[in-house]
Amino acid sequence: MIDPITYFYTVLLLSMAVNLGISLYGIFYKPSLIKKIISLTIFSDTANTFAIIVGYIRWKAATQPPQPPVLTNLNPTEKDLVTFASMSVDPLPQALVLTAIVIGLAVTLFLVFLTLQAYRLYKTTDVREIAKLRG
Amino acid sequence: MMSRVVGVIVITLFITVFSLVIALGGLGYVLPPESVRELARQYLLIAYNPFNKTFTVFSPEVVTSIVWDFRGLDTLFETVVFYLAIIGSVALARGFKSSKPEKDISQYGLSPIVKTVTRVTVGMILAVATSIALHGHLTPGGGFQGGATAAVVPLLVLVIFSRYYLETRGVSKNAMLAIRSFGLIGIGLTAFIVLIIGLMSGMNAYVFQNQPKPDAPVGLPALFDGQIISGTLWFFNLFEMFAVAAGFTIVFLLLSIPERDVFKYLKEEGGEY
Repeated sequence: MIDPITYFYTVLLLSMAVNLGISLYGIFYKPSLIKKIISLTIFSDTANTFAIIVGYIRWKAATQPPQPPVLTNLNPTEKDLVTFASMSVDPLPQALVLTAIVIGLAVTLFLVFLTLQAYRLYKTTDVREIAKLRG
Repeated sequence: MMSRVVGVIVITLFITVFSLVIALGGLGYVLPPESVRELARQYLLIAYNPFNKTFTVFSPEVVTSIVWDFRGLDTLFETVVFYLAIIGSVALARGFKSSKPEKDISQYGLSPIVKTVTRVTVGMILAVATSIALHGHLTPGGGFQGGATAAVVPLLVLVIFSRYYLETRGVSKNAMLAIRSFGLIGIGLTAFIVLIIGLMSGMNAYVFQNQPKPDAPVGLPALFDGQIISGTLWFFNLFEMFAVAAGFTIVFLLLSIPERDVFKYLKEEGGEY
C-alpha cells in the first residue's frame, strides 16, 4: 500500500514538470502572441507552485498537521512561540509568491495591451508576420 | 532554424535539471537544506514576540511582516515594477478617447436583473476588499490582495452596465491616476515617516523603520486604542490597496475603449487602417 502523502507529492511534482514542458513549448513554438502570453502565465503559476512546495514542511505526525504562519494567540509565552515556529510552514516563499502574483498580473495586462495594439496596427498577432514588417 | 535549436536545448536543459532536483529529493537529499529553515524559524519567532523588543514587528501574520518589514525594500521595488507596467499601458494608449454614448446610458448593458444583483454585490465586494486589506497584519491578506479584490468591481460594472455608466460615476482614467498617485505617495511617505519623526525630534532613525530599535528609539506604535496596527504595516496595506485597485482599474478602462474610437484616433494620426 503506497503512502497517500508520497503519492500526492509524486503526482504534484510530475504534473508540474508536465506543466513546465507545455508552457515552454508554448512560449517557444506557438507563433501567436496570445498563446505565448497564456503559456507565460502557466509558466509563472508553475514556478509559484514550486516555490510554495519548497516552503512546505511535511507532516511530522498524522495528528500534527503544519500550521499556517499566523499566530493566533496574542498573549504568547516564550514556549508558545517556539512551538509555533516549529509547527508553522516556511513564510518566506509565500511572501515572495504573493508579490510575484500581483506583479505577474500587471505585466500580463501590459503584454495583453501590447498585443492588442500590435493587432490593431498590423492586423496579426503572428510573430513571423510581425518580424517580416519593416519600418 | 537557429531559434528552434536554441529552443530545444533550453527546454531539454530545463526539464533535465528539474527532474534532477526531484530525483535528488526522492533519493533522500533534503532540498532545500535544513539550514534554510533557520531563517524561517527566526522570522516566525520574532514576528510577534513581546520578549524580543529589538527585532519584533508586533504582527501575528508572519507573511505580512516579511513583505512590509523584514524585506520591505523588496516590496517597495516590486511596487515600482507594478507602477511601470501600468504606466507602460497608459503610454501605449495615449490619445485614445471614448466617444459620447449614442443612446441613453440605461439602454446599454445586460438585463435589469443582473444589474440589480450587481448593485447589491458591488458594495459587498468593496467591504470584503477593505477588510482583507486592513486586516492584512492580523490574518492572511494585505494591500495587494485587497486591491486586486477591489479591482473586480470596475470590471464587473464595465461588463454588466457599460463603460459610459462607469464614467458618469466619476471613475475616469485621470481620477484613477490621481488615486493611484495618492497611494504611491502614501507608500513613499510611510517608508520615510519614522525617519522624519526622528529628524524632527533629534533622535536616530532609519528609512523603512517600523518599531523602535535600541539605537533608534522612535517608531510607530504597535497598538492604537488597544487594537494592533503593527506600526507602519497598517498604513502600507491601506495605501497599497489604493495603488493596486486604481492601477488595475486604469488598464481595464483603457482595454474597454471601443475599437471604432481607437481606429478613428489612429486614422486622425495619419495611418491607413
